[in-house]
Formats: sequence, structure tokens, C-alpha cells
Amino acid sequence: MSALSTRLHRQTDPAVAVDPQRASRRRGVVRGLRLTGVQLFCFVVSAGFFALPLVYLLLQSFKDNLDFLQDPTGLPKHWTLSNFSAAWTQGDFATEMVNSLIYAVVPDVITLVLGVFLAFPISRGWFRHSNVLYAFFVFSGFLPAGLIPLFIEAQKLGLYDNRLGYLTLTSLAGAGFFFFVGYIKTIPRELDEAAAMDGCGYVRFIFTIIIPQMKPALATFAVFGFVASWNNLILPLIMLTDSDLWPVTRGLYSFFGEHGSQWPLIAAATMIVAAPILVVFALLQRYLVEGVAGGAATGTAGVGNAPATVVAAEE
Amino acid sequence: MSTSPFGTRRTRRWIPWLSILVPSVGWLTFGLYPSLATVYYSLTEYSGVPGTPMNYCGLCNYRNLFTSNYSQVSDAVVATLKYTAGVTVLQIGVGLGLALLLQRRRFGYGLYRALIFMPQIFSVTIVGVLFSLLLDPSSGPAEQILHSLTGGSSAFLGDASVSIWLIVLVNVWMFSGYTMLVYIAGLRRIPLELYEAASLDGCGPIRRFTKITWPMLAPATTVNVFLTAIGSLGEYALILVMTQGQYKTQTIGMFMFNSAFGVNPDLGLGSTLAMVQFVFTAAIGGVLLWRLRRREVAL
Repeated sequence: MSALSTRLHRQTDPAVAVDPQRASRRRGVVRGLRLTGVQLFCFVVSAGFFALPLVYLLLQSFKDNLDFLQDPTGLPKHWTLSNFSAAWTQGDFATEMVNSLIYAVVPDVITLVLGVFLAFPISRGWFRHSNVLYAFFVFSGFLPAGLIPLFIEAQKLGLYDNRLGYLTLTSLAGAGFFFFVGYIKTIPRELDEAAAMDGCGYVRFIFTIIIPQMKPALATFAVFGFVASWNNLILPLIMLTDSDLWPVTRGLYSFFGEHGSQWPLIAAATMIVAAPILVVFALLQRYLVEGVAGGAATGTAGVGNAPATVVAAEE
Repeated sequence: MSTSPFGTRRTRRWIPWLSILVPSVGWLTFGLYPSLATVYYSLTEYSGVPGTPMNYCGLCNYRNLFTSNYSQVSDAVVATLKYTAGVTVLQIGVGLGLALLLQRRRFGYGLYRALIFMPQIFSVTIVGVLFSLLLDPSSGPAEQILHSLTGGSSAFLGDASVSIWLIVLVNVWMFSGYTMLVYIAGLRRIPLELYEAASLDGCGPIRRFTKITWPMLAPATTVNVFLTAIGSLGEYALILVMTQGQYKTQTIGMFMFNSAFGVNPDLGLGSTLAMVQFVFTAAIGGVLLWRLRRREVAL
């Protein structure tokens, strides 16, 4: 919507109206030259404040200990990879990476599938008072944090300190996922009726027709869910005491505590843990940033508008 | 209300219920129940160590907030308010500044936005360790810079007078990219005609900002202030990595975590602190939403 309106504004811009292409190109070059000061400032802010700390950490991880003691803040004199291999084995990051991957992927997939099964009947209006249910869910997000009862509950149900228990807990805790309700409303109802008439079962219908239709929405939530689960520190900290079960975040936290001020080693361990997320970010950067911007845009549009447009579309 | 077209005449009524059964039960057991059970556990004495009894003790934990735990509780409230106010004000300022600077759709700006957004995709563990290194009082670059500028030195995170503010800065570093993106989305919704008209009427850049940009950004400000304030009220994972709540950085959330999962676990006190946190969140969130919405309507 906003992209469309800016495009329209651009077309009505008098400077461009004469000969759109050439004028805009010339203007671009002129501005590019004139605004190098601003460009430079933007670069310094974004790179200097937001990327430099990580670059500094990366540089530290290539130092040997003697280097670090002699000149803690300077560039490494003797570049070495030994910190990485030492951190990799001492921190047992190979096992922890696998654990993190399991803890991130399994709950992510289960939560999304359950979310579709929860949202579909509600968005189709198969229940009476489904908006009451929806309002109640939204309200429940503001209730007190249930971390302590969850801990007690996990111990009582035998979900404490084991992999399956942790996965059950994380998969089901996020199942109250109503965000798809609005999205499913945009999928025409005629599809349900046609499929049912052709003898397609409900479960098969959801998996073969609805879920493929929801790919964009599912992909966005899958990426954010994956990152959130991968980054979670508190839940593994209280639910998993056996170090064989730890994800990388939990592992790094303990590694940091154990190795005190061996900064090059800790820097290497941190880079190891940060690397997969950095790769995900580099690959999906545009997607993640636009996802937030898009979500923010609908957020600022006011919640009241969304159902009205959906209703209008249905009628 | 409509009915499901799926299934035979007999199964038709049950399909919607079966569909929502597993997610609803999961959410009730691991989402809603723990939240509500906090109220009950806050009325008990329970260490959580297997084999120890759980005693119902009425309002004992709430009484202790004002008696034996009073100094810790009041410190925690002060730390929480400092943290929330600091993060909200700074992050709104920094986010808006970055948004005004980087809203252009031009070469390079996408990369700058991505770099600024990047810190928040990292775990608090990574960010906490990174800044512990940068702020290390004996070998960090912050110490060197401070020393060469003023000649003095500081314990940074180990100094109770600045510790909480340093964590505030780290929090702002981590999340101002989000605030920026929300503001950019808001800025792109402002019709350009308004600026053209204002320029024709002889408005300078400062008046254009105060009379057009800032009021038109009211919805974005509502979202940003609300999310930042609620988020920083509940934040303690970052504090846990950086100071464990020492040096006057024990916010209510941190105190809750430390009392429930620290050396002498007291799940009753922890639950009570979760209730205190809830009251603060509800009160501050409610007031903010009410004031900010009114500001939007007043336009």
C-alpha cells in the first residue's frame, strides 16, 4: 500500500514528469554526488556503531593469549585459529549445535501446523462466539509470566531435563497461535465446499490446499519462530541441567562463566555461536527486515481496520 | 455462524472441535495454566527442591515484600523504573533519528538498515558476552577510550552507579533497529503533499518536523513506546548474562529469576515477584496506551 502510494507520488513529481527516465537518472547522479556527506554519515553510524563491535570481537578471536595480554585492544600480531578449535572442543559446540537445531526446528514446525488447525475453524466461523475466544487469547498475553509454575509443572509431568519433554513443552506452549485467523479469511470459502464435495477429507484439505496457500505467512512466522527458539536462553537454563542436552545459547552462557577472562577463547566461542544466525541473516536479510517493516505497517494501521476490509472482501 | 462442509452427517459436528483440540489443550496446559497458577504459588512457601513440602501461607510473601525483603524490593523497583524509562526514551530517540536519516530508498541505505537491524537477531547471550568484553575494566576498548579521554578509570559493569545505564545502552543498541523500522513505515505513510504545502507556506525544516512529521507519526510512536516499555519492563535475560543482577541492576524480573532459580530457591517469593511485575506491566502499559491513543485521537 505504502509502496504503491510513493510510486504514485513519484510519478506526479514535476521534476520527473518531463522525461521520467533521463531526468531521474541525472537527478540521481547529482544527488549522489551532493549528498556524499550524508551517505558517509549514514555509513559511519550504521557500520561504526552497529557492526564494529562484532568486527572487534572477530578480530579478538584470532589472537593468541600472549598477544592479548600484551596488547588487549589492538589488532592480532600472530593470527591463529587455535581459539576456534579449542573453543569448539572445550565448549562441546558440535553437540550443542545439533541440539539447538532440533529445539528450533521441531517446535517451529509443530507450532505452525497446530496454529493452522486452530485458526482455520475459527476464521471460518464454525464456532459460536469465536471473537470472545479471540479477545480472551489476546488478553491472556498480558497475564503474569508463568515461568515458575511451568518449571514445577515440567517436574511433575516428567518433562524436566529431557529432550522429549523440552520439545513437548516448547511445541505446545506456543500453540495458542491465532495470528493466522485473519490470513485464512482471505482464502475463499468456495474452496472448502468444492473440496468437501469432491470427497477430500479435512486433514488432507488442510495439508494439501490450505497450507500451500499460506506459504508467505507461514514462511515469515517460521523464520521469526526459528530465530526466537534458537536464541532462547532462559527456558534451557531452567529446564535442562544435563549439559548433553544444552543448546548453544545455554552452552555459551556456561562457557563464559567457566573461562573467566580468557577473552580470545570466549570471543571465538561467541563467533561460533553467532555464525549460523549471521548466515541466516545474510541470506534472509531483506526478508526479515521487510517482514518487520510490513508487520509494523499493519500494526500502525490500527487493528480496527483489518476485520472491516476482510468483511468487505467477503461480501 | 456456519457449519463445516467436511465429513459425513455424523462427523460434521465434531470436526471443528477435533481440529482445535490439540492446540487448545497445549495452550491451556503450558500457556494459560502456568500464568494463572502464579497467583496460587505466590501464596505458598516452596523451595522447589524435590522432597520438600509446599506450605500454603496466605499473604506471607506479600507481607515480606514490605518487611524482610523491603530493601531488595525497593531497589528492584528503582532499577526497573530506571531501566524502563532509560530504554524507552533513548530507543525512541535513537530509532526516530535513524529512521529520519535512513528512510530514503537509495543505494546503500538498505544495507545500512540491515546492519542496524542485525543485533536483535542474536541471542542475548551473544550480545551480553560481546559487551562484557567491550566493557571489561582491565582489557576492554571502552576502558582505553575513557582513559585516553579523561585519564580516569571505571569498573563499568562492576560500578553500581553506572551499571544499569550501561545495560540500558546495550539494550538500545540491540533493539533500536526495530524502532527504526516501525518509524520508517510510519514516515512512508505521510503524504508528500503535506510537506509541499508547508514548504510553499514558508515552513522551515524544524517546523515541518514539529508540525507535520511528529504528529503524523503518532500511531508509530504508540506502537514503539508501548512495545519498548512493555518489553524492557520484562527484560532480564540480558541483565542475567551481563551482571546476574549484581551492582544495583536487579530489576523485578531479575529478582524473580534469582529468587526462584538462584542459590536458595524460593518459588513462592519468585511467584510473588512475578505478580508484582504483572501489576507494574498492567499499570504502566494501561496508562501508556490510554495516553498515546488519546494523543492520536486529538489530531
